[in-house]
Amino acid sequence: MNEQSPVHMIHTRGLTKRYGARTAVDGVDLTVPRACAYGFLGHNGAGKTTVIRMLLGLTEADAGTMMISGRPVPEQRADVLARVGAIVEEPSFHKYLTGRENLQVAAAVRGPQAMARIGSTLDQVGLADRAKDRVGTYSQGMRQRLGVARCLLADPELLILDEPMNGLDPGGILELRQMIRGLVDEGRTVFLSSHLLDEVEKTCDAAAVIDHGRIVEAGPIGSLLRRAGTTELAIGCDEPGRASQLLSDYPAVAAVTQAADALRVTLAADDAAAEINALLVHAGIAVSRLEPVRQSLEQRFLELTSSLGGQS
Amino acid sequence: MNATVTWNMIGAELLKLRRNRGIMAFALFLTVGVTILYFGIGAIEHSSTPTSNGPIGGLRGFRDGLGALGLYFGMLAAVLIGSEAGTSDRSSGVFRDLVVTGRPRLALFAVRLPAAFIVTLAVTGLGYALALIGVFAFAGGTPTPSLSLILQGAGWLALADLAVVAFAVGIGSLTGSRAVTLTAVIGWVAIATNILLSVSFLGSLRDGLLTPALTQLAPLADLHRTVSMATGVAVIVTLAWIVIPALLGAWRTQTLDA
Repeated sequence: MNEQSPVHMIHTRGLTKRYGARTAVDGVDLTVPRACAYGFLGHNGAGKTTVIRMLLGLTEADAGTMMISGRPVPEQRADVLARVGAIVEEPSFHKYLTGRENLQVAAAVRGPQAMARIGSTLDQVGLADRAKDRVGTYSQGMRQRLGVARCLLADPELLILDEPMNGLDPGGILELRQMIRGLVDEGRTVFLSSHLLDEVEKTCDAAAVIDHGRIVEAGPIGSLLRRAGTTELAIGCDEPGRASQLLSDYPAVAAVTQAADALRVTLAADDAAAEINALLVHAGIAVSRLEPVRQSLEQRFLELTSSLGGQS
Repeated sequence: MNATVTWNMIGAELLKLRRNRGIMAFALFLTVGVTILYFGIGAIEHSSTPTSNGPIGGLRGFRDGLGALGLYFGMLAAVLIGSEAGTSDRSSGVFRDLVVTGRPRLALFAVRLPAAFIVTLAVTGLGYALALIGVFAFAGGTPTPSLSLILQGAGWLALADLAVVAFAVGIGSLTGSRAVTLTAVIGWVAIATNILLSVSFLGSLRDGLLTPALTQLAPLADLHRTVSMATGVAVIVTLAWIVIPALLGAWRTQTLDA
């Protein structure tokens, strides 16, 4: 990897794409830091792939500016893309060629340095022992990995992966997740679009949510979840019935429900966990567990997109 | 784009073509197979009934072999190979993955033509070599072609290959579909051209067709010449059939939504 510059890896301002009367991407401002896995979340048709296609010069933007690694695209597209690896929608191959031969085809287009990297990229994605087999015999997961290998031929500072988990079984998803984290550990930036929210939460450091062509929220994953507010506690104790009665009358508690494994306590104030713990202990109830119920990215995503969906 | 990258890209195109077993097998059948069949059957006929079947070799065999390779079966092989070269990246979906490397689209298009030409030249050249063996082996005392005529025949064959390959690569890159390209190009060179040639009231308009232009440039005067035209016109028409489809293919490759 080359020495990294201080600028963001991807930076767009007012990026807009229209298809006739329909605005597919509407003034997208996106800032992706370097050396992280960045998720790009959205429902099918939200505008994820269109943004990616504009970044890669596969389709022209109607308005706005784009910078990759501090350089404007499409003005410096050729230079910029020389250090970008991308899989758009799904990786395609000549099925009658072997894995290695398919990489040879891509490496020939990239240049002699890419030719020299074929062996190491096959090793990196764990396909060295199947490199002489025709791609037509590969599983979906192997093709996905070969697609990543093709990206790595560029020794990319940025990888753009469009829905990379699509069609993968749980084992394949785990492999890909580990591979992406490994690439980030090498100092590369991975920008991945997905509608598999759980996977983005597990794989990415930060994310942006796009809905109806507009960015509705962006930031580190932890920050996205915190913004929703932690208003619920799960409490395990030896006397759930008495605890429930006690908490129902307590002013800092808005509601108490009894779940199978714990009491679910909705707080009226965000910082009331400690006083609730003290209340229960003081009443002689042994508390075995008290933890905030963390809102999942999926819940947050649905909250964000359904609220916007309601306006449109 | 430097020479190493250019050659590597042509090499990649060559790899795609030569590893496509179906295309290569059919192209070899149309050139090598048909040549072997022609001289094999002719030799058997001559040996069984020499009075009614003359020797299959000699100048007659040279003319028929060259015509078959340049205007019929070899032309079909060139169409197959050119169509594959023009369409394979798009039909497989790989074109988009090549575009995102940042390499100019025109460069991606430009390497298709030399690669398809080289492969076509190889298969028709093999057919031509076998035909020459037949020409001399089965001459039966009849006159044989001179070295000069053999070389002229090779040059003409290369020109015919180039024209047909450029036509097929250009139309293939324009349509992106092998089936459509094969139907259009074979339909044009094998069917529509012959129909148009037989329509006498078209007069000199028929000079614009590829096949009569190529026959005009053939080294043997009696090689299926149906429309007579000046050599200069034949050269211009042949060049136009090389350049115009290539330009159309380049334009489409440059502008299509990947």
